[in-house]
Amino acid sequence: MHRIMIVEDDVSIRDELTLLLENEGYRPLPIRDFTDIAAQVTADSPDLILLDIGLPGQDGFSLCAAIRRSVNVPILFVTSRDSSLDEIRALSLGGDDYITKPYNIPVLLARIKTALRRSSQGSDAEIMEVGGLTLNLAKGSLSNGQNAILLTRNELQIMACLMNCPGEIVSRTELIETLWNNQIYIDDNTLSVNMTRLRDKLDSLGMRDLIRTRRGMGYQI
Amino acid sequence: MTLRRFVLHTVFMAGTAVFLLATGTQAGVVALLLIAWIAVFACAWTISYLRRRDRLRELENIMDGLDKKYLFFECIPGAHDAYERRMLALSRRAGKSMIETVSDAQEAVREYREYVESWVHEIKTPITAAGLICRSADPVLRQKLTQELAQIEAHVERALFYARAESPEKDFIIRQTNLTDIVSQALGQHRTLLISKGVRVETQDLEYTVYTDSKWAVFILGQLLQNAARYHGEEPVITMSARPLGQQVQLIARDNGIGIPAHELTRIFDRGFTGSNGRSRGGSTGMGLYLCRKLADSLGIDLRIDSVEGEGTAAQITFPAKSQLSD
Repeated sequence: MHRIMIVEDDVSIRDELTLLLENEGYRPLPIRDFTDIAAQVTADSPDLILLDIGLPGQDGFSLCAAIRRSVNVPILFVTSRDSSLDEIRALSLGGDDYITKPYNIPVLLARIKTALRRSSQGSDAEIMEVGGLTLNLAKGSLSNGQNAILLTRNELQIMACLMNCPGEIVSRTELIETLWNNQIYIDDNTLSVNMTRLRDKLDSLGMRDLIRTRRGMGYQI
Repeated sequence: MTLRRFVLHTVFMAGTAVFLLATGTQAGVVALLLIAWIAVFACAWTISYLRRRDRLRELENIMDGLDKKYLFFECIPGAHDAYERRMLALSRRAGKSMIETVSDAQEAVREYREYVESWVHEIKTPITAAGLICRSADPVLRQKLTQELAQIEAHVERALFYARAESPEKDFIIRQTNLTDIVSQALGQHRTLLISKGVRVETQDLEYTVYTDSKWAVFILGQLLQNAARYHGEEPVITMSARPLGQQVQLIARDNGIGIPAHELTRIFDRGFTGSNGRSRGGSTGMGLYLCRKLADSLGIDLRIDSVEGEGTAAQITFPAKSQLSD
């Protein structure tokens, strides 16, 4: 389980972020005492740090530099300061990514995942498995053990989104948002078209009814 | 030399000549006297004219070379005569008072801008928290609240860029950026609004390198996207494509929305102009495009908007070539 340190002085954000990361299967380490954070980092040795810039006492920039002197953990700046100058400064001080508030939650999670993957090198979660089906995100293929089909970029993201939370209902809006987060800017009609094609392809694997439509609510695997 | 002085002088000379002739001086002597008189004064006038001309040219050169023209009187080298000295002293007093007023005003603008910037940073914290808290609400409520939060965010962002655009200190940073990143960031920022209006976006040929401040460019593009979403028609589609124009790169964002009436096109960049669309649909501030134009001008971006009412609107954003940004 990846341990993520949260350096954020706003209590609401800190608490909600802690909850969010817990739900996503991480172990959050929220900082509550803002004296000598660098020492806390060394003591707790997290796998990733979410770092705000405006903090009581030492600001995020100098803190990043201080942490960098001792450990090489991925540091994601999460801040409301949005000028290019701040971003360049953060990255030149050793920050790995720069995310501006207010952020979109899936985007934040995706960037945490990317940073963790980059630092742990190779432990790719590029393959998802649900109920005998294997989705290979890198190859864009879906296989049932005997046969494999190739999916388009849109179909791949729809499958990944549904397989990410098996048993749960995913609303059409959520699906569209997920696709938008992956640079696929579709509307409701296009989603229907993609869904039909995806079901046709699943039919060739003998799994036409894999994706169930929950009328008025969304889709479910 | 003024014409009045010349005429007065001539009249005085003629009077003297008449007086001398009347008192019995020989005409030849009077003529000789007049010729000598004219010669002496012509000389004096010429010298005076040349000196003044040179002085004025000198001053004009100083003025032309000045970046801040109101510093002119501070930059004039020593006065030529007593009259000029007194005049200069007066002008310097006037100039000094103006410089003080200008720097006070600049200071006030700077402080106001600093306040707006820090206020915007502070307000973003509760907006972020609200977004996170929304997660646990039921889907319908969450969607509604997310849309409202997105609107708050858009308004806050405009306030921030208004402060930046109106400030004399332009603190953007021109860097090499990928156009695809700018477009996907702008689409990401306005995802909620665009999705809620059922907009489909098609992107093509965006793999170009541009030289700009990406945050500012994302804001400009974001305003155009918001307009496209707000003034949409049936089955809204936005197409984003780019093409090279010599060393420059042109991004074209085209929508199939309700368009802008032809007679309003010339005024859409005016501050506070809302137009018939803005008035009929409401919610328009008349600030978006005004800010776009101001920020684009600072970045050396050429921004044009064409539209056909009932068919759609196309924005052309031409990014400058690297060589055009050397200053």
